[in-house]
Amino acid sequence: MSIAHPFVYEKPATVGQALKLLSRHGPRARVLAGGTDLIGLMVDGAERPDVVVDIKGIKGLKDIRREKSATVLGSLATFTDVLESSLIRRKLPVMAEMAGWVASRGVRNRGTLVGNICSAVPCCDTGPILLAYRAQILVKGPRGARRVPIDKWFTGPRTTVLKPRELVIGIRIPDPGRHAGCFVKMRRYRGEDLAQASVTVLLMPGKEWRVAFGSVAPKPIQGKRIERLLKGRSLDAGLMDKVVDLTAKEIAPITDIRSTREYRAHMIRVMMRRALEGAVSRKAGKGPPYGSELI
Amino acid sequence: MNITVKLNGIAQTIAVEPSDLLIDVIRDRLGVKSPKYGCGKGDCGACTVLLDGDVVRSCLVLAVEADGREITTVEALSMEGPNDVQRELIRNNAFQCGFCAPGVTLAAEELLRRNADPTEEEIREAVAGNLCRCTGYQQIVEAVRTAARSRRKKAGRKRRPRSGRKGVKS
Amino acid sequence: MSDLKVIGKPVPRIDGEERVVGAAQYVDDLDFGPNLLHAEIVESPHAHAEILSIDTREAERVPGVVKVVTAKDFPYTFGLYMQDRYIFAKDRVRFVGEQVAAVIARDPATAKRAAERVKVRYRKRPFVLDLKEALSDDAPLVHPDLGHYARCPWFFPRAGTNIAHWRKTRRGDIRKGFAQADFILEDTYTVPRYAHCAIETHAIVSLYDHSGRLTLWSSSQSPFTQRNVFANALAPLGLSHQDIRVISPNVGGGFGGKAGVSMEIMGAVLGLAVKGHPVKLRCTRGQEFYNTYQRQGVLARIKLGATKDGRMTAIDHKLHWDAGAYVEYGANVVNAAGLSATGPYPIPNIRIDSICTYTNLPPGGPYRGFGYSEFLFGLESHVDRLAEMMGMDPVKFRRINAIQEGDTLAYGGKMNPSGLREAIDRTAREIKWGKKTRPSGPNKVTGKGFATFWKAPAMPPNAASSAFLKFNEDGSLNVLISGMDIGQGLLTVMAQVASEVLTVPVERIRVETPDTDRNAYEWQTVGSHVTWGCGNAVKMAAEEARDKIFTTVHRAHGLKKEDLYLENEEVRCRTRKNFRLPLRDFVINGIMLPNGQFRGGPILASGMFMPEFTSALSDPETSQGGKPNVHYTVGAAAVDIEIDRDTGKVDVLKVVLAVDVGRAINPDLIRGQVVGGVVQGLATALYEDIRYDKNGKLLNANFTDYKIPTAMDTPKEIVPIILEVPQPDGPYGARGVGEHTMIPCAPIVANAIYNALGLRLKSMPLTAEKICLAMNGIDYDEVKGETMGLCFMGDPDTYEFSTGKTR
Repeated sequence: MSIAHPFVYEKPATVGQALKLLSRHGPRARVLAGGTDLIGLMVDGAERPDVVVDIKGIKGLKDIRREKSATVLGSLATFTDVLESSLIRRKLPVMAEMAGWVASRGVRNRGTLVGNICSAVPCCDTGPILLAYRAQILVKGPRGARRVPIDKWFTGPRTTVLKPRELVIGIRIPDPGRHAGCFVKMRRYRGEDLAQASVTVLLMPGKEWRVAFGSVAPKPIQGKRIERLLKGRSLDAGLMDKVVDLTAKEIAPITDIRSTREYRAHMIRVMMRRALEGAVSRKAGKGPPYGSELI
Repeated sequence: MNITVKLNGIAQTIAVEPSDLLIDVIRDRLGVKSPKYGCGKGDCGACTVLLDGDVVRSCLVLAVEADGREITTVEALSMEGPNDVQRELIRNNAFQCGFCAPGVTLAAEELLRRNADPTEEEIREAVAGNLCRCTGYQQIVEAVRTAARSRRKKAGRKRRPRSGRKGVKS
Repeated sequence: MSDLKVIGKPVPRIDGEERVVGAAQYVDDLDFGPNLLHAEIVESPHAHAEILSIDTREAERVPGVVKVVTAKDFPYTFGLYMQDRYIFAKDRVRFVGEQVAAVIARDPATAKRAAERVKVRYRKRPFVLDLKEALSDDAPLVHPDLGHYARCPWFFPRAGTNIAHWRKTRRGDIRKGFAQADFILEDTYTVPRYAHCAIETHAIVSLYDHSGRLTLWSSSQSPFTQRNVFANALAPLGLSHQDIRVISPNVGGGFGGKAGVSMEIMGAVLGLAVKGHPVKLRCTRGQEFYNTYQRQGVLARIKLGATKDGRMTAIDHKLHWDAGAYVEYGANVVNAAGLSATGPYPIPNIRIDSICTYTNLPPGGPYRGFGYSEFLFGLESHVDRLAEMMGMDPVKFRRINAIQEGDTLAYGGKMNPSGLREAIDRTAREIKWGKKTRPSGPNKVTGKGFATFWKAPAMPPNAASSAFLKFNEDGSLNVLISGMDIGQGLLTVMAQVASEVLTVPVERIRVETPDTDRNAYEWQTVGSHVTWGCGNAVKMAAEEARDKIFTTVHRAHGLKKEDLYLENEEVRCRTRKNFRLPLRDFVINGIMLPNGQFRGGPILASGMFMPEFTSALSDPETSQGGKPNVHYTVGAAAVDIEIDRDTGKVDVLKVVLAVDVGRAINPDLIRGQVVGGVVQGLATALYEDIRYDKNGKLLNANFTDYKIPTAMDTPKEIVPIILEVPQPDGPYGARGVGEHTMIPCAPIVANAIYNALGLRLKSMPLTAEKICLAMNGIDYDEVKGETMGLCFMGDPDTYEFSTGKTR
């Protein structure tokens, strides 16, 4: 159960030092934040980096803070930090709902949201929620800083647009205004499980809707057709049926060990319906409280 | 490389390899055996320790990451005999084989430190990352609930009003 | 019996504190100093292949590597009931993950690195994963040498086929029985493989010291059986029982998975390979799944007939077991089921075929329930369906047929005393049978399900238990047994038994985990038999100690032994009210006479129990004539569930389980067995199954995708009902309960799903996905793709097994 491959451990104190290390070692280096993904992969021998760059010595990266009309999560912000942040609960309640369903306390205390989108497994829960919140990924590299819109971030299973010599320093989420929504996660167990599918729905000011899916495509995806259909409209039974039918066009689920394609497709319809209903009633200030089980 | 950790209140400096996992260093180098190997993937919680007071999976932490930090294992809770949570776990015959017990006990202790009056749902949530194949969890949950009550009583605290669940409230 | 002081009381476990303070030591926690070496296994990537060569040179060159071990070094076979395994695969591998070599190194990382450098050349052979294929006439043979393996006398392998054992039970006239029936129902049920998932993985440390002594620290339910298997397998090296010592510290969960010998044999020889160095072998979680034991898959064809007034007249039960690549233990699971697959119903006309078939999948073996969990899913689903066909309430149908004391068993013996009818009645009352629970929402629907269960220990007729007992100077005492506390609380229960006889409080009695050099013999801690068997031995030892105490007092004080009795750790006398002699005053140092001489001395005692009334010998064509089982424990269970119609998700609202334990020595620990067993049983019903790809590779050998229930995935309420119809030959009337609580959980859920939705699912597990798809007209087994939930690939209903070559 040990890590069989030796590596050099570096713990830079600044972003600049980190970038220098990444620049020097390129693809032979891996960035370590919470370690809940990377260390397991190293034990398996699936990742065999020569250099591990632990960014936990960099001050300020753990903060969740306001910046102009946006919320910025540092790349060391853990799921527990998000779950317990009053700022997040106030400004981005659906993100807190998502964080509550991630793994277990012992993993949430270490695992970071940025790590989650960097490992970029199709079942990651952070991807869809950031898609719905139209987040930007704050990246620094040898050629300076860039902001990657989240819908450009994922390129496939376990791949992103992040280049070997770059470092994610945070996630910027523009203020969505007064909104409500739901993160609904299909899983085999209530206690601790990866998503077999997830639906995120946000009801924004001005009857703008945002929809995203997880685990039903090679990467987290945005429900663009549904968003267009719903735009500016109030939800009624007929519209709801149309939206639910439209899910089939948005997603491309597969059969794997966690679920069949058929069940995923079916459940997305159920989850879509419940998420829409939940978002409307939460917007109206009625239950169910964030964190409640909707499926 | 050398790291300095405070393990159960005692500062120690030892040489480790970067690839050493915290669980192995605690167990094999520092001789504290209560964190157990169960899965090596963070799925089972048997290797749970408190790192600066937070429950973490010591199988998913490099020993070097713990440099300068404080590690608490279940041994530290019973320096003057079993603490209140442990006493209730004993009284309720909460464990069977006991392999998960150190992890569950630490998860329960961490919960009660941050939430003096947990609901049953919150207790279950707090230990949901600690797999137990023997007990069905019922006696564990009962013990933690009783311990919370007695700890509140001792601290003279009242129950808080109930709303929502899972600590996410709007 | 009403004056019992300790028996029947919910005393806290004597080992409770050490568990929660981190003091309890498991094998991996023991320190062996700087000489300790670590081993890593080299595994087969193929389901079936010839080993052409193994090149260990590059691995041996890795700094820190001490030795690489292969079958060349230890070309021996082993096995509990049938010697069909090599310690390391020799000449051929038979499943993905089978051990081919082991690297011993200074540290685990080095061993792991070097193991990747062992070069094995294979020639792939055709493999069989599917039962139907394994039984076909031109099937590749998993064991061409089957006819030559040493085995126990009650196994009947068919050389030249993949049938490792075929247990036939025949009674009455099956044709007449079905002719008498007004209703007959026939159908097929399938149960996949499952994993035990003890949180502690198997671990063993082996030390062959320079005096030629082999000591093993083993995470085991069976230290003595391990010693025996090691001694038999290693006899060619000149080792015998007296040279081998097995020490079992605390075991982090067993559930049958740590019974017998699986990976431990490798540990044993790794120690032999590096004299003077302790070697540790600890399973990874993955290895725990594919290279210890798994619960075997079964395909059951059941035909059951009954008269219109509700009497079962005939049963034809065919059980086809996917036993995997080695059956040295698993074939006895098949055997046990084949003797009892009527369920707790004295059906007059019986035909049972329980067929153990080799496949190129990991070895099957014992798992809590030992065959009964596997066959009861089909049988108790079928009983419900036949009742419906007859227009009879299924609980009433079961009650009519419930077995009672003196009824004839399938193999011809007589049923022991037991309270099945009371269990049925009380379970039905507690679950409010016949009354629907109001669903919690518009898309929800509720249903209830019921089942009965039974199980006997499956043990050889001479499986014995024994105990030593010795006092200390302060009147406290040690009980030395080799029954294992695998969590069930055996040590505490044995302390209670000794306490009851000797009046020494439980907290002043030490009962420790076993060491074959020092503790008394125990066959194995399996089959839910140790409370009964070991309990009898401890009781006998305590009574012998009491007798010796009275003899000492008689010799010193001249009091008649028959007038003496024990109370509050003192010897008292019925005829001399003022006589009180504390045990601590004399149990070691004796009693001083007026002349300064002493009488007595250290009080030591022993006890032994072997069920001399059993026999495994019977007619191989009918199983009539022997008495293979010591007794059955029976009970009933029911569940109330709520299903979300949209998602298929099952919420378990309430489970009731009534079990006749004969005598509840510690009701609190029995409650623990009920709650824990029910949750483990529900897990097999609702969530778990082992998946293979089409090349025989296990796909979910981890807790990410073979997940066991968490604290948030348990029933809202579990109600244990403890019944006590005493077992005449049990200690204070007790019989076993450990496994039984898991057995009925699958059929109660299947029956409740039918009750809620009118949907009959005939293959486990009954996942939300399967339920939901079925509601939408989709058969899960048709869409599940190449990840097989089962080893049965075709449509089970059309399974017709060719056994032509074997008749």
